[in-house]
Amino acid sequence: MANNHLTSESKQLATWYFTFAAILFGAQLLFGLVAAIQYVMPGFLFEIIDFSIARILHINALVVWMVFAMFGSVYWLLPDETGIETVGIKIGKLLFWIFAAAIVVVVLVYLLVQVGPADETTIWFITEGREYIEAPRWADFGIVVVALGFVGNLFLTGMKGKQTGIVTVLMADMIAFSGLYLAGMFFTDNISVDQYWWWWVIHLWVEATWEVFVGAIAAYGLITMLGAHRKTVEMWLWIEVSMLFGSGILGMGHHYFWIGTPEYWWEIGALFSALEPLPLVAMFIHVLYDWGKTQGEQNAQGKDVSVINNKPAFTWFVLNAFGNFLGAGIWGFFHTLPQVNLYTHGTQFTSAHGHLAFFGAYATILIGMMYMGIQGSNGIKVMKNTKASIWAVSLITSGVVGMTVSLTIAGYVQVLVSRAQMGATWAAYFDGQSGMWFTQAMDWRLFMGAVTFAGFLFLIKDFLSTGKDAQHEH
Amino acid sequence: MIETVIRPEIALNDFLPIFVSSAFVLIFGAFYVGIYTAVKVEILKKWTMPFAYLFWGLTCYMLYIMGSLMHVGEFTAKALVVAMIGYLMLPHAVYYMQHRVHEENEH
Repeated sequence: MANNHLTSESKQLATWYFTFAAILFGAQLLFGLVAAIQYVMPGFLFEIIDFSIARILHINALVVWMVFAMFGSVYWLLPDETGIETVGIKIGKLLFWIFAAAIVVVVLVYLLVQVGPADETTIWFITEGREYIEAPRWADFGIVVVALGFVGNLFLTGMKGKQTGIVTVLMADMIAFSGLYLAGMFFTDNISVDQYWWWWVIHLWVEATWEVFVGAIAAYGLITMLGAHRKTVEMWLWIEVSMLFGSGILGMGHHYFWIGTPEYWWEIGALFSALEPLPLVAMFIHVLYDWGKTQGEQNAQGKDVSVINNKPAFTWFVLNAFGNFLGAGIWGFFHTLPQVNLYTHGTQFTSAHGHLAFFGAYATILIGMMYMGIQGSNGIKVMKNTKASIWAVSLITSGVVGMTVSLTIAGYVQVLVSRAQMGATWAAYFDGQSGMWFTQAMDWRLFMGAVTFAGFLFLIKDFLSTGKDAQHEH
Repeated sequence: MIETVIRPEIALNDFLPIFVSSAFVLIFGAFYVGIYTAVKVEILKKWTMPFAYLFWGLTCYMLYIMGSLMHVGEFTAKALVVAMIGYLMLPHAVYYMQHRVHEENEH
């Protein structure tokens, strides 16, 4: 990412974070493809990269590239929002290299060592073995140090510079985001108690702090890309934050239905999970409201030109509004009440929801932020869509939607055959997976995964070349 | 021979209607606030507002179907009724605040 037009060191650091995030995004898709092939051809890369390893890499790369892109987004917007250079930027840069180096080592250990002797050395140096946050304990401590440094940068800058609503929300959100990671760093002998704390990281990240982060980034994007009124945008943001935290924190109950926690979580989980789609509808309407309102004001002045100054970024932001509503909202609401979750829990339904929700709610807006980074780095005033950017957004979106539909069909088969008809027995699990509908769905999932990867290649091509495209207004 | 166990809680034929109705809860719900918003920002004419409330009614109906097929408990049923009343009032509250913010900006 060229950054010769950037005068702010914070924005330069943001481009480093975006670049590393894009590389990890590619790794995520690549190992996802390996795992998808293994569903169709179980012998593929057997004892070289087994499904368990491919899955670890697929999911952890997803989480880490998003964290990198989130940190990058904050470093990008801080100078604009606070009006000053980020405080302690040199430490920020040092922490970036420590974080990146730690991730490279962890990935190499996953690939080359893979398993340990199942004692403390495994936990400390190879993997902690907990889904989504499998990093070994030494890396956990490194992540805590990096996160503390990042939060320090954010707080010191926020307190010294202008305190906008967006920065205030981010300050509160990021301290919760970093603090919650601690809940996933210790083990208990009782698996129910262990999972109880583990969900504090997983759920409270993705359905509370990450969603609030998306709300703040969307607010920043609407102000910078459309010129929307800050007061209006920030009012929406506060409503979204209160709704997200109001429903999202106790909505965690939907993970406590079947893990051995007390039964009162049924009612708590049902009530607050039912409310969880409300802020997603609000976020969806918010983007359309501000877009319509700002364009309407422009048209009323007789100027018949688009108010959008970064078309590719805005395309991804609008996709975020749709995708968040579809993936997190509709695909989440499908199976959020305990009565139906009894059947869907742990089937490909969850996987379908996971694919569309992570893409719709997070990947889209973070790719949008990367485009804003490219615009700023190349000194582009009005950035337009290129052929590659259109191919990228079309292929990635249709690929992910295709995977989601395939996995939903596979999950539906599992719900009917493995759970409802055969009562979730050992034999039911295998019978459900050997049926024609399930196996064909997995074939389609692989094909759609390949489509997504092709879209990613177009995205990288566009990232590398769009800065020099003559059609943009400088 | 593998024994087939039919779980009593949800009938086999009810799964598809449950998934479809739950999807429509959110789709109709989005139409309700979408039309309401569009009328407020003058993209749609005022006479279309009753359609917003019609979609709210359809949202309630879909939630009722979903809840009935799932056999939700008494507490959950009451919670869902409260959620729908809250959902009816939500856009009114948001646009009341929106109106006040605009007044502050313009005067």
